[in-house]
Amino acid sequence: MTTTSQPTADLSGDGVAKTIANPLREGLRAGRMPEPCTMVICGATGDLTERKLGPALYNLLLGGFLPPEFTVVGFARREMTDDQFRDHLRQGVDRYSRNRPIKESIWDSFAQGIVYHRGDFDDAKAWESLRSALDRIDRDRGTAGNRLFYLAVPPTLYPEIVRQLGDAGLAPSGEDRPDQRKGWSRVIVEKPFGFDLTSARRLNQELRHVFAEEQIYRIDHYLGKETVQNLAVFRFGNGLFEPIWNRRYIDSVQITVAETVGVEGRGEFYDQTGALRDIIQNHALQLLAMFAMEPPVEFRAQDLRDEKLKVLRAVHEMSTDDVAANVVRGQYVSGWVEGVKMPSYRDEPEIAPDSDTETYVALRLEIGSWRWAGVPFYVRTGKALSTRATEVAVQFKSPPLALFNRAGVPQIEPNILAIRIQPDEGILIRFGAKVPGQGMQIRSVNMDFRYGFSFAVDSPDAYETLLLDAMVGDASLFTRDDEVERAWAILDPVLKAWEAGAGGPVHFYGAGSWGPPAADELLARDGRSWRKP
Amino acid sequence: MTAQPHEGEQPSGYSADAERELAVHRRLMRFGDQESRVAPVWSEKGTTVAAVEDHLASLWTLAGDDGARVTEKGLPHARASVLNLIVTVPDEPLAVRVVSTLLGLGYRHPSRAIVLVANPDRDGPWLDASVSAHCHAIHDADEQVCYEEVILTVRGEPAEHLDGIVASLLIHDLPTLVWWPGDPPFADAIFDQLVEMGDRLILDSSDFGDLLLGFRRLSTLRRRSGIADLAWKRLGWWQELTAQFFDAPRFRRYLPNLNRVIIRYALPSSKGNQKAPAKDDPMPGVSSPLAQAILYASWIANRLEWKRHSTVRPLEAGSLALSLEGRYAMVELRIEGVPTDTVLDGELLSVRLRARGETGAAEFIIDRDGEEAVIASNADGMTAQLRRARMELPSESELLASTMVAGQHDAVYEGAVRAAGVFLAAARASEEAG
Repeated sequence: MTTTSQPTADLSGDGVAKTIANPLREGLRAGRMPEPCTMVICGATGDLTERKLGPALYNLLLGGFLPPEFTVVGFARREMTDDQFRDHLRQGVDRYSRNRPIKESIWDSFAQGIVYHRGDFDDAKAWESLRSALDRIDRDRGTAGNRLFYLAVPPTLYPEIVRQLGDAGLAPSGEDRPDQRKGWSRVIVEKPFGFDLTSARRLNQELRHVFAEEQIYRIDHYLGKETVQNLAVFRFGNGLFEPIWNRRYIDSVQITVAETVGVEGRGEFYDQTGALRDIIQNHALQLLAMFAMEPPVEFRAQDLRDEKLKVLRAVHEMSTDDVAANVVRGQYVSGWVEGVKMPSYRDEPEIAPDSDTETYVALRLEIGSWRWAGVPFYVRTGKALSTRATEVAVQFKSPPLALFNRAGVPQIEPNILAIRIQPDEGILIRFGAKVPGQGMQIRSVNMDFRYGFSFAVDSPDAYETLLLDAMVGDASLFTRDDEVERAWAILDPVLKAWEAGAGGPVHFYGAGSWGPPAADELLARDGRSWRKP
Repeated sequence: MTAQPHEGEQPSGYSADAERELAVHRRLMRFGDQESRVAPVWSEKGTTVAAVEDHLASLWTLAGDDGARVTEKGLPHARASVLNLIVTVPDEPLAVRVVSTLLGLGYRHPSRAIVLVANPDRDGPWLDASVSAHCHAIHDADEQVCYEEVILTVRGEPAEHLDGIVASLLIHDLPTLVWWPGDPPFADAIFDQLVEMGDRLILDSSDFGDLLLGFRRLSTLRRRSGIADLAWKRLGWWQELTAQFFDAPRFRRYLPNLNRVIIRYALPSSKGNQKAPAKDDPMPGVSSPLAQAILYASWIANRLEWKRHSTVRPLEAGSLALSLEGRYAMVELRIEGVPTDTVLDGELLSVRLRARGETGAAEFIIDRDGEEAVIASNADGMTAQLRRARMELPSESELLASTMVAGQHDAVYEGAVRAAGVFLAAARASEEAG
């Protein structure tokens, strides 16, 4: 996210000083070029590697964003040769890359830098052997001791892998290394970051026992999306919006993360997780923090994350009574979505027939800050909903005097500013205009900016952006330990209330609808209604 | 409104100017072949700017009357909101090229392209115009983004005042780019008028009739937002791959110690140029094939602050050699034209950089192999590393599209152009003196 060219100062704070900038790099398309490095994918034979990591790396390579020395080491339990692992990655690129068909000779050249290392994650010898392999790669390919470990494994394996990384001496960076050899080590951790506040704290302690916080990159792929990054540009790069971005002008805010799909083969995982943990704890609260934060001192990782944390700290924690009043959970029953009959959640594979897991949740949150006091933030997410849409929508207050509200003239709708994250990335402003003709009729009209209509370029996939950021040491779009823990602290009362059976019932809603009627009542009580993006 | 004119019309009996105009017009009417038109092509001879304005204003109202589903997001198709593009078309080959390039832009098309055919020496109605609008699917293809093409043929004295005609046809509050394909008439008042209207001037120094004159003129153009040179854009992959050698800190120390740069580029084959433009080939041979090679050399020299020292071999048959003063060493710069049919004239074929090192000489090599590059480095006493990377030959559409994304001055390019002018002048002066 940093806009500078080749960094000359230490952005990451992970103790590794950058060298003097390459004078030939200035002005080139790839303004940020990582130092030579090796990426070790732990759990390399899994779905994430095939669907996301392999295609993202190939696209970065194709775009000229990877250094020639870049090397991939797949590390997993499965027996596999280097060639078989290369084929595994290649299949993912063939199926999921935005650049297809694959360019054979480019791939062949890239494949020379892909190797596989078999081992059990709890076997110290496997890690010793990995370290030797990485040292060899440093010598043979010039990767200079720079290592990025990607934990593409179930979260239950994080503690063991992190411990082994520490024991094998693979965690320290630069001068902290036993042999004081140059180079950095970083670790990327996938969500979920814990299961609740207690487990998140434990995970963070385990990570920090081995790695410094500056070496840890917690990936929430929503933050890699162009429109989420544009939220900051929209607010702080324009003079128009920031003056009205406060309680004086804003009536309420709605954050929607709506999916049309069901559990899609992730039944076992989802039934243990639910919508609150899967979406609200990370994606939705990160969107809220990006939307509501104060301007950072500088556009750097530390400052951005400090400001996001302040917002999360200001979100009111709920009592059990608050949960019953301000949170609605739902579960879908059979219905039609986009012309396809969808079974009830409880009839999905791997789902308990009496499951109470929420597939929908709507919350009314308040931020007790000078800027946002009294402005409700309505946050909802759900599966099997009518439309796939992620957006942050602002409803502005009505004018102080209803000048046109005479008899017979309908109430003017409030002004809306909607920031659409996906699909149709863009920004919409809705305001009233006079209908042409005699008399005074007013209708809402839209001013609509869409990325597709205004920028004739393809956006990179979020994983491309985030992997490149991690390689260059820019943690702006990754979440910090205190952010993660604070997000859990906001939601822990909800989880506890539900566990105690005190947070209100599970409301059923038909697949293909916009959620349970109880969620509508949550807003109706405040004289408002949900948008239908 | 009149029927679409001219296709199959016999030019015999017309003056040379009229025949040229007809030929250009026939080519430009290919815009009307678009399958995804929003509204019928409108064309009118002897029209006025006001009539064109009226038609453009009505275009999207008409398009909205087809009963299409209107949502909060608007119509399922909407006009792009990217930029205006003004294009000049002086002759038939360039008309072919312009049509092909604009059609090739697809969804990256400017919101409104105004194509100008100026004939100051011709009599007849002073303005003919045609307007077409077409759409391309974006993303998941359930929505379309749409564009307009306005073709204006201007005759007589008004053709010397094109800015006044174009100004009212631009979409307000969008950036305006002026694309001047071919050899720009730098001394012509029309050139200055149109360039002054734009936020950015797009040209291709490979098309310059006189490269040195062109570079000198570019160096003195004082534009609000600068220049986009398609020849420079073609160097993108070469520059990326060259810079990559020195991204690695262990290789960066060789940069100040570079002492030889050899650049080879494509010249027309002596066997007969198989790349010569066919009748419908939108990419005619280039007038100044040296452009890319000299820009590449000037880019490195300018970034590394090398100064011209002496001319070793003056410009002859597309090749030259200069001696430059580097920070710690003298640098031998050789640019060699190589007759070949494998790529378009002017494309770079190979680059070889050599530097002194503590453990001997280091070499950094990039060779073009079709649409890929073979890259090798031999430094630090390490065995040469060999790899392949993408090096596509971008189409003119792709190059044009890339210029529409960037918006600001390109200080690196401007530095390279200044250096190119100095090097070229040195090579020419020696040639003339010799």
